[in-house]
Amino acid sequence: MTQLSDYWRITKKIALSDLKLRYKNSLLGIFWSLLEPLLIFAVLYLVFYYVMDLQVGHYYLFLFLGIICWDLFEKATMMGMTSITDKPSLVKKIFIPRETLLLGRCITALLMILFELVIFFILLLISGIPITPLFLLFPFILIGEFLIAVGIGFALAALNVYYRDVQYIWAVLLRALFFLSPVIYSVTIYPAEYAELLMLNPLARVIEASRKTTLYNSLPTLLDIGIIYLAALLSLAIGYFIFTRLEPRFAEEI
Amino acid sequence: MKPEIAIEVKNLWKRFILPHEKKTTVFEMLTKLHKKTTYEEFWALREINFSVAKGESFGIIGENGSGKTTLLNLITNVIRPTKGEIHVNGRLTAFLELGVGFHPDMTVKENVYLYGALMGMSDKELDSKFHQIIKFADLEKFVDAKLKNLSSGMQVRLAFSTAAQTNPEILLVDEVLAVGDLEFQQKCFEKFMEFRKKGVTLVIVSHDMNAIAKFCDTVMLLHQGRQIATGNPKEVIDLYLQHR
Repeated sequence: MTQLSDYWRITKKIALSDLKLRYKNSLLGIFWSLLEPLLIFAVLYLVFYYVMDLQVGHYYLFLFLGIICWDLFEKATMMGMTSITDKPSLVKKIFIPRETLLLGRCITALLMILFELVIFFILLLISGIPITPLFLLFPFILIGEFLIAVGIGFALAALNVYYRDVQYIWAVLLRALFFLSPVIYSVTIYPAEYAELLMLNPLARVIEASRKTTLYNSLPTLLDIGIIYLAALLSLAIGYFIFTRLEPRFAEEI
Repeated sequence: MKPEIAIEVKNLWKRFILPHEKKTTVFEMLTKLHKKTTYEEFWALREINFSVAKGESFGIIGENGSGKTTLLNLITNVIRPTKGEIHVNGRLTAFLELGVGFHPDMTVKENVYLYGALMGMSDKELDSKFHQIIKFADLEKFVDAKLKNLSSGMQVRLAFSTAAQTNPEILLVDEVLAVGDLEFQQKCFEKFMEFRKKGVTLVIVSHDMNAIAKFCDTVMLLHQGRQIATGNPKEVIDLYLQHR
């Protein structure tokens, strides 16, 4: 039990000092971290609302929520991936449970997303869309997504110690996944013959279920929640397995 | 393991694998699948056996490359044995390299809390010891200064005094008896004496034979990864000096 609390203490420390460092060195602090997602939001909004003329009500909220869900996945896996390789001295010169490096980074990513969520919430209040008890399901969807990202992060962080091009491969895969997921569009545009297949993508379920609970006042299906949490379970099991298999030689390989 | 034993090492072997041509990318791995990887084996440690009793001061000596640091790294769990077992009984603190995890852009205070956490202390413990840490390092005026604005000597002092405040039951030391100026070295020396008096188990690696003779109850001599002798400090040190 003491060991578990030790793990958690170190994880928390790593996450918080990481967050502090990110914001401390720029005058505009938190604003800088928000600037990137907001700019992407602005560009995508202009292109898809005015140019492509997608027929979606409250498109700015629809899009912003998609970007937030995406950002959580992207940030947690990308930052988690380099969590070990960024801190070689903490691996080679001292012993701390290496899981804490990954978990700390993923939690930093989660905290960064919280700022975006605050803005989303404000926009939602202004828009006049009623906030219903269904909103309470939204955090559970994000937690499911976070767990998926942590599992993938475990695998990527460990593999990246051995093969340094893992980060480039993952960046390419992420881009493909971005367009396969309904971040900028609605799942209704999936062609009927592929819809079932495309909806096996847990991120599509995450984004879809998030929109249902926050914007459309409708209950996510059991299949939505089932796929999200099954993916979380699988990703954690496989990711952690890979991590523990590779961890003993981290100090020699890094 | 008997309760009065702090560290037990049984038939320990450690091999490092040094590939001739390392495949460091997925791309290389896939394109060179048909090629056999050739590598050299290097046995850094062979058949090491010893145990350190609780409260004992145990010295490890040997020339460079004899496996002393590898052995300490194995005991701290940074690397893992190829063969054999290591059992550690008690809270272990390692002074292998000081200031690992220090961040130049954080203040002295923030660094103490971060480093302290990495060394196994809780915020509560650090709250109660913060004053002592700063006083020992003699940095009262710089609590809110960024670490990068401190001299390297000051940084080492800060690291040492933070690490020294962990309540170790077992302490591993790798040549850090010689940090800072003479006055600080004297303080460190006293700190180690205090640890010893308190019954902390010490494992010391050093090239300073005077320090080893002064501190240790038992000394082990390593040569090219093999355990040559273990026992009375004077005899083992003499053996080392004769054969050098």
